[in-house]
This record gives sequence, structure tokens and C-alpha cells, in this order.
Amino acid sequence: MYKISLIFTLLTTAAFLKAQVPSFELQPMPEQYQEVKPTVLFQAGNRYIWVGTEQGLFRFDGLDYQPFLMPDSICNNKVTAIGEIGDRLWVGYEDGCIFFQAKAKFQLWQIEEGLPNVPITGFGQGANGLIWVATYGEGLYYHNGRHLYNINTDDGLPGDDIYTIHVDPEGDAWVGTDGGLSRCKVRAEQKQITTIGKAEGMPDEIVRVVIPAGEAGLFWVGTHSGGLALCNAAKGEVSVPFEYWPYAPINAMVSYQNQELWIGTDGDGLLRYTFRDSLLTHLQNPSFENGRILDLLKDAEGNLWNIQQFRGISKANRKFEQVLQKLPDIQAVLESRDGALWVGCQSGLFRYDFSAHQFEKILPENTLSLCESPGGQLYAGTFGQGLYVLTSETRQPLHLTAKDGLSNGSILDITGSGSTIWLATLGGVNSFQEAPFGERPVITPRFDEQSALGTNFTYTVFPDSHGRIWFGTDGEGLSVLEDGKLHNYNTIDGIDIQAVYSITEDKQGHIWFSTAREGVFEYDGARFRHLTLREGIRDLAITSLITAPDGNIVIVHPSGVDLLNPLTRHIIYYDEGIGVKGLEPNLNAVAAGSGRSVWLGMENRVLRYTALEEPLSIHPQTLITNVSVFLEPVDYPFVSTFNHNQNNLVFEFTGLWYADPKAVRYRYKLDGFDLDWISTRDQQAIYSNLPPGTYTFKVVSTENDTYSDEPVVAYAFTIHPPYWQRWWFILLALAGLFLLLVSWIRQRDRRQQRIARLEKEKVQSQFEALKSQINPHFLFNSFNTLAAIIEESPGEAVQYVDKLSDFYRSILQYREQAVINLSEELSLVRDYGYLLKYRYGENLEIEYKVPDADRYAVVPFALQLLVENAVKHNVISSTRKLRILIEISRKKIIVANNVQPKFTKESSTSFGLESLRQRYEMLGAPTLQIASDGHSFRVELPLLDITADLQKNGFSTWIF
Amino acid sequence: MNFTCIIALIVLTFGQLPDAKLYEVDKGSVYFRSDAPLELIEASSTELKGLINAEERTFAFSVPMSSFEGFNSPLQRVHFNENYMESKQYPNATFSGKIIENIDFTKDGLYTVRAKGRLNVHGVKRERIIRSELQVEEGQIEVRADFTVLLAEHDISIPKIVHQKIAEEIAVEIRAVFLPKMP
Repeated sequence: MYKISLIFTLLTTAAFLKAQVPSFELQPMPEQYQEVKPTVLFQAGNRYIWVGTEQGLFRFDGLDYQPFLMPDSICNNKVTAIGEIGDRLWVGYEDGCIFFQAKAKFQLWQIEEGLPNVPITGFGQGANGLIWVATYGEGLYYHNGRHLYNINTDDGLPGDDIYTIHVDPEGDAWVGTDGGLSRCKVRAEQKQITTIGKAEGMPDEIVRVVIPAGEAGLFWVGTHSGGLALCNAAKGEVSVPFEYWPYAPINAMVSYQNQELWIGTDGDGLLRYTFRDSLLTHLQNPSFENGRILDLLKDAEGNLWNIQQFRGISKANRKFEQVLQKLPDIQAVLESRDGALWVGCQSGLFRYDFSAHQFEKILPENTLSLCESPGGQLYAGTFGQGLYVLTSETRQPLHLTAKDGLSNGSILDITGSGSTIWLATLGGVNSFQEAPFGERPVITPRFDEQSALGTNFTYTVFPDSHGRIWFGTDGEGLSVLEDGKLHNYNTIDGIDIQAVYSITEDKQGHIWFSTAREGVFEYDGARFRHLTLREGIRDLAITSLITAPDGNIVIVHPSGVDLLNPLTRHIIYYDEGIGVKGLEPNLNAVAAGSGRSVWLGMENRVLRYTALEEPLSIHPQTLITNVSVFLEPVDYPFVSTFNHNQNNLVFEFTGLWYADPKAVRYRYKLDGFDLDWISTRDQQAIYSNLPPGTYTFKVVSTENDTYSDEPVVAYAFTIHPPYWQRWWFILLALAGLFLLLVSWIRQRDRRQQRIARLEKEKVQSQFEALKSQINPHFLFNSFNTLAAIIEESPGEAVQYVDKLSDFYRSILQYREQAVINLSEELSLVRDYGYLLKYRYGENLEIEYKVPDADRYAVVPFALQLLVENAVKHNVISSTRKLRILIEISRKKIIVANNVQPKFTKESSTSFGLESLRQRYEMLGAPTLQIASDGHSFRVELPLLDITADLQKNGFSTWIF
Repeated sequence: MNFTCIIALIVLTFGQLPDAKLYEVDKGSVYFRSDAPLELIEASSTELKGLINAEERTFAFSVPMSSFEGFNSPLQRVHFNENYMESKQYPNATFSGKIIENIDFTKDGLYTVRAKGRLNVHGVKRERIIRSELQVEEGQIEVRADFTVLLAEHDISIPKIVHQKIAEEIAVEIRAVFLPKMP
């Protein structure tokens, strides 16, 4: 008996609900993927929607499908499961392959135990890093970070084919198999399996879907042939809402918190189970295929997605539903307490006929306003024809006109406040006390153009929660009746507000009203706040305002429907996505409905807004999808420092707003570079030649062109200056430069000192040389010699005098020079030797072994000085001859003589040798070497290479 | 449960079935390698015993711990048996369970299967899935399986002082040729 009555209820009530459905919009794959067959839908934590198909994995941003295909050699690309573990996406394939997302790429799950060989049917994240993997054929697997383990029929699982998996907050897996619903847990490495099967009340053993049912431990279970079950895991109880299940096996389910359950079947399309009235409705919709629903998804915005076997993916905005039947020019709507929908049109008053799926005409009059009093009486205000009173049951309306006190036959708005009914007419405001149905009430004119109202034309009347009655008028703005006094506001903050069309009150008790041209005002009891285009109001031609059960103010205008959060002022726009763009709605054709809904009359159709209970996202999800340097992607967001030459950056971003993906706009700003935000429709920002510095790239997306409270996504990064601009390098370079300078100055100093000393030495040596040459002894000896030969041999005397003068001329000639050619020095020594030989004769032998004398240079008078020293310090006699040898050996010139010291030492300043040594030292040459062994005395002088420019440098390359 | 028990059980359970097809190890070896930072230790045993029931896809393996030879010194072998494996107390390492994949043992070919079972080493039983390659050829089955054993999972404690010489994870290789068991 119960069954039959249930079927009856199903059949009768289903018809009403059939007529109102969210409009599903197909989300076609692009042309090149026409053959692709979607099978699985999944929304990741970052809100990207992933689509598994028989041809591979795709990512959908609302507009484009991006393929993520795995190598054919590894995997057949037939996606059977998508899940998220941690913040990584896991994808399972028909051949048992499992891939997971690692950074931007997917990689094969490689484990010692190997992957399953049968289709993967689900993933889940257990406690302590446990990963659950469900398969169709090999039971359940879990991986504990070290090993993979299996739970199958051998362990007590009722079947190895798992259809569905849900992991509860404790981390335990609930799996549906051919033997019921099983809870699998692993405690201390022990598998524990408990099964709820047919014996426990499950309507069918084959459990194909399990989803949580709001409370902990409660699950909705979809079975193969037994339909739906509600399973209380803690108590082990199962309740079955519909004993009779005429529909196909359940393939997928999603639930809207406390509101309804959507059920996708394997052959009977989509079913909807509303909790409020326990009704199961079979959705029929021309845009809907009555066949297989492969998967369902509720996204973070509350949109309902499904995959139909042949049509593919479609999406609906669950918040808005339409009554399919259209009516001309809807002017008023009302849901009466019995759940019926009334619509006032130009062509009359209609009531929705449940059985005939169409509107039934109740009154032929042009109906402008509708109201149901707390007493259950329905009032219909007409255009020029007065007021009709009727009830849901009685079709015999009571007609009230001017005779009953009505000041004008056109009634634009009716509102009940307690037992008082207020009428907004074109003849001012009227009110009356409600009379029992059938009795004629006495209507009293209250305010008109003679009163503070200032006009007869009243659009709307609104009693608020503080006992005030608000009136919206044409031309005279807003009036309020408070404590028996009427107060008028026709200018607010200097704005002439003219016509007030619609008034509503939010949950904080603030009054909101819309004007003909000035947008919306909020009145908090003390002050008015003005909201216009700048605050995000999309269209100033607002026709209706109504507060929805979720507290949002629904704004109706020709551009669509906006939802305004009165606290945050956040506005969401809806238009094309719900099929209402460009309609011309009439004034105040809105009404509160049952089940957290609001009815909106939009030109020729009736829309129903449902305030969903779950927390839903109200912003587009902004994501930075890629950062590249010179078109090379970087590992965003892990890399945040760049070199000075990595300064060409491209940021790609997206804003996910599935309710209306085309409406998304962006603005971005590079802190440290841009002075202001840059607005764009593009999904990328390009920066070239960024100077070194610290930057933050910030991007925001919006669906309604207001950026007031949209979350900002930021990416901070640094471009390092080149090393030559870093402080340490500059410091180092400065230090180096300083050291270089210091050493150069020192060297120059030293050189100058040396030159000065050399100069001094030279002068001194010249002086000494002159002194020694003009040694009176030498001169005396020379003149004695000359006197001796002048008579014997005048010719030789002339030659002698020539040599003497040559010698003195050479001394005068070379004394200015730092160095002289060796051959010059030698000719000087030869002259000197000639003079000496005349005195000492055969007792002095000077031998020259100097080849290539032209190549070398020496300090002037160096050899002469050494020869003079030899003669000066040694005995020269016929028995003890002095032999002097001048030769070049190993690039050195050597002056050697045999030692036969005089008994009486010549007075010596020792200046000669010392001066010579110092002059060589000045020149930076190797020092001269003196060797004496008692038998011979030799001095080695370094030779200068003549090829160097001696005059310029004063230095030369010494041959070592 | 020691090996003879398992075999007895398998024989008892399945031996009664008229067409139960049993295979027995003809030649089998177990090799293990401990690749620690300071020392590489290798040892192997050729005394692997095993049975496969082709009908039920069940199997059992057993190897006596004291049969392992190799090692780097005779003393090491003594330590292995006395200190770590406690071979007197736990004489055998066993692995028994069921093959996940349903393969046809009568058809020649190379199969990759996963054996799900309990690995008993050092008296500690751990459930494991071990991937192995089966080469079925003319009625004989050649089994090759490589897997790892974590010492900590089998309560084999290594003194701190030899930590650098013994790996935490021991690589094991099984090679066996099965022939049909004659009744």
C-alpha cells in the first residue's frame, strides 16, 4: 500500500518539478578532439577541472581543453579514475597504469611491486601518508610509503571489482563492490574489513556509488538495481528512501548540502532527489539525453557538471533554474503557501497546472501585482480593473473597486503587514484590514499627492522589520511611515532620486532601494550610502530588488541578474550562463519562494534562484600557470632568483570562473616596476629587460570588472645584479685599484730616486775620473815620457800627444752619458793603454779578446777605471810583468790581471770600484763580481744589450 | 607456520582435487645482497624449495637460513646465522600466498605476475606483493623474482657499530625452475 502511494506521489509531483531545471549547457571539445569520449570529471584543489576520456586526460579551464597524454608505449590513455592526494593529481587508467603529477608534468608511479593489471577505479588519501587505490578486478591496494599491499576476496573483501571509493576523515576507505559497502582500514598493519551488505538492509548488493551525506558516518549509497540508500556507518543501519526503484543502475551522485541529491543513472538520465519534500524527480529536458550519465561533478562555485554518453560534458548553474513554459510579459510572481506558482501577466493571472505541465488562466485581467496574506488570501492587483481577492481553493474571486474605497483601479504593488494590507496604486497609497474571505473589506486612502508623499503614483510599498512602511514613488522619491508620521526623501546627498522602483531589507535591517536612474541606495537607519556603476552595479535600469534566503540581494535588470552581498558589497553577475541576457524584466516581478529560493519574473520566463547552503567560491580562482625566462619555462614557484641576464620574463596566468569563463578579466602589476595596475583580457604579461632588483608580480582576476575584494596572487622574485655591480666586487675592485696605485707610486718613487742617485753617481764619477786623469802624477809621467821621446823621435811624440788628447777628448765626450758602446770604451782603453805602454813598455801587457763589441754597451770609463786600478795597485817591472786581459765571456766583460801588490800602498779612496758597483746597481743591472785569489784579480761586468732604447729609458735589458 | 606445514596444507587442500596441477621446484636459488657504504655482502642458497598450485594460483616457497653461503668471511656467516637471523630459532624463510593475476599455466609464454603473500623472515610475517616473471615452456615454469627486504620490518636489529657495513634494505633475487609434481 505504501509503495503504491509513493509511486502515486512520485507520478503527480514529479510533473511540477520536471518543468523547472537548471539549464545545461554543452561544453564541447574542440574539433580535433571530436572523437574523444569523456568518462570522468574531477575538480582539483586549485579548481582546474580535469576530464578523463577514453583517449586521454584533459584539463579544462571553462574555454579550452588542454590534453595531457601519456606515452602510448606505457599506457593506453583510457582514463578510468582521477583523484588528488596531497596537492598532486593522480590518474588511473583502464590498463592499470597510474600516473601522478610532479610539478608541471605527469610521471608513472614506479613501485617495486608493480602496478595493477586491471582498471583503476579510484584514489584516496588515508592517514599517515597512506595511499588507497581501488581497482576493478584486483580489489583494493594501499601503499604505506614503503610497500604496496592488497586487500581482496582472500582478505575478506566481498568482491574484487570495486566500483567506488570514498575515504572518510579518519582515513579509512569505503568501497563499493558486488558484495556491498565495505569499510577497509589498516591498524597496526592489520587489515580490518567490515561490510554492510544485503543482510544489513542494503537494497542491492552491488554498490556502485558512495558519497558522504553531510554528517560524519552517513553515506549516500547508489546501487545497481536497488536504487538509493542512506547508510549510517556507526549504527550499521541502512534506510532506503524509495523501496521501488524503476530506474537504471546508479552511476554517479553529487549532493547539495541539506538540499538535494543528483543521481546519474546508467540509462535513465539524471534524477534529482530533494530532501525538503522527499521527492525524486526524473529530469526531462530537451537539452538532455535520456540515457547514460557517466559522471557528475559539483564544482567549487556550485555548478553542476555531467557527462552524457553521447553528448559529452555539460554544465549548469545550479543556483538558477527556469520554468520552461514561457508566458508573455510577466509582471508579478508569487509562490503560494501550498507550493503553487502564480504569475501575473498582461493577458491575465495564471496558476501553474501540475498535471498539464502548463499555466492555467485564473483571471483575464491585466495583472500587475500579487500578494498572499498571512491569513491565506490571495490578492491580485490589476491595471485599471481594481483588486481581486481569491484563495488557492476557491476560483470565485471577490472584485474590489472604487466602490470599496479604492482610490485608483491600477494597483502596482500589494504587501501585507500583519492583518493590514497595503496597496500602492496610481491614486496614492491605500490600506485596509483583512476581512474573512467572502466579506468585503473597507479600503481607506492613506497618502496621495496632497500628503508628504507628494505624488499619486506609487510603485511599491514595503513594510520593514522595524514596523516602518516604505513607499517608492514616481518623481518624489522615497517616503517612510514611521510612528504615524510620513517622511519623504526626494533628494539624498544632493542627488534627486526621482523614481523609486523597488525596496528590500537585508538581514542586518538595512533598507535597500533602487531608483530609476541613480542606482541603488542603502539606508542603515541614520545614513544613506550610494551604490552605482563605480561600485559594480552593472545596469542602472534596475527593475527589482529582493533579499534571498542566503542574505544576498538579488538585483534584476535588463543586463541580467546580479547578486550583491550587503556586507562585503561583493557583486556577482549572471547573464548568458543562465540564459537571461537582454531580457526586459518588469518592475517588482519577484517573490520569495520555498526551499531557500526566490522567484524572478524576467520578461517572458520565470527564473528561480536557490540560495545554496554550502560554502561556495565567489571569486574566480587566479592561478599563475607559468613563468618563463626568454621563453624557457622556469620551475615556478620554486625558483625565485634570476641572474642579471635572465631579465626577459613572461608570466602566464588564468582566472577560473566556470559560471561564466568568458567574463573573466585580469589586471596585473609588477611591484618594483609598474606604477599602476594594468588591465587586460590576455592571460599573460611580458616584461623585457628588467633591471636587477626585487619584484613581486601580482595578478587578480575578476568576473565583474571590479577588483575591490578579489584575492591577489603574488610571486616574489629577485633579479640579481651582475657580479660587477655587487658590493663585494666593487669593494674588491676598489681595493685592487688602490693597491695598484700605491705600488705604481712606490715604483715611480723608487725609479726617480734611482735616477737621481745615478745622476749623482755619474757626476761624482766624472769628477773622480777627471780628477784621476788630471792626476798630476799621471800628467807628470806623461809629460816626462813626452820629453824623453820628443827629441829621439818627434814623429812618435806627435802620435803620443795625439793619443793623449784623444784620451782627454773621449773623457770629455762620454762623461755625460749613462752608458756607452763597448767599442767606444775599448778605443778609450786602447788610447789609455798606448799612453801606459809608453811608460811601462814591455812590462805591461794588455790583451783584448772582445768580438762583437758593437753589440754591447757598458758604463763609461768602467774598463779604463779597472785598467787604471790594476796599474795603480801593482808592481810593474821587467821581472814582474803586469798582464791585463779584457775579454767577453758568457755575456760578461771581464777585466783580469795578475796580482803583484806594491809594498807601499798607493793612497786610495776605494772610490773607483765602489762607484762602478753603485752605477750598475742604479741601472737595475746585475751587480758586478769581483774575484781575487792572491794570484789574480778579476772583475766581471754585466753587459747591456744595445738593442734596447737606452736613451729613452735609462734602463735596458740586461743579459744574464 | 613452517614450510612442511604449508606444503602439507596445500597438498591436503588441493591434492584431493582430481585435476589440481602442482608444480615443484626442481632447481632453485636465492641470492641476497647487502650493499652498505662500507661493505658489500653477498650470499646465496641453492636449497630453495617451493610448490605452485596452478589451479588455485597458490604457492609456497621455503629456504633454510643456514644454507646460505658466500659472505666475506666464515665469521660473517656465523654472525649472520647466530646474531641476526637467529637461524636455530627461525630455521626457514618462507613466502606463501596467491598469485593476483589469472594466468594459464598450460600455455607457453612469458608472464609478469604479482604474488601476494606472507613473507616470513626471522619469524616475522609481513604481507608482501612480489612481482615476478614466469616463463612457461613445455610444462616447466621458470620463475624470476627480485625484491627487497627491509631489516627493520622483520625485527632484525643491527648494532650501531656495524651500521655502515650492513644495508637497511637487502636486495633478494629468486631463480627457480618448476616441474610438474609427480603424484
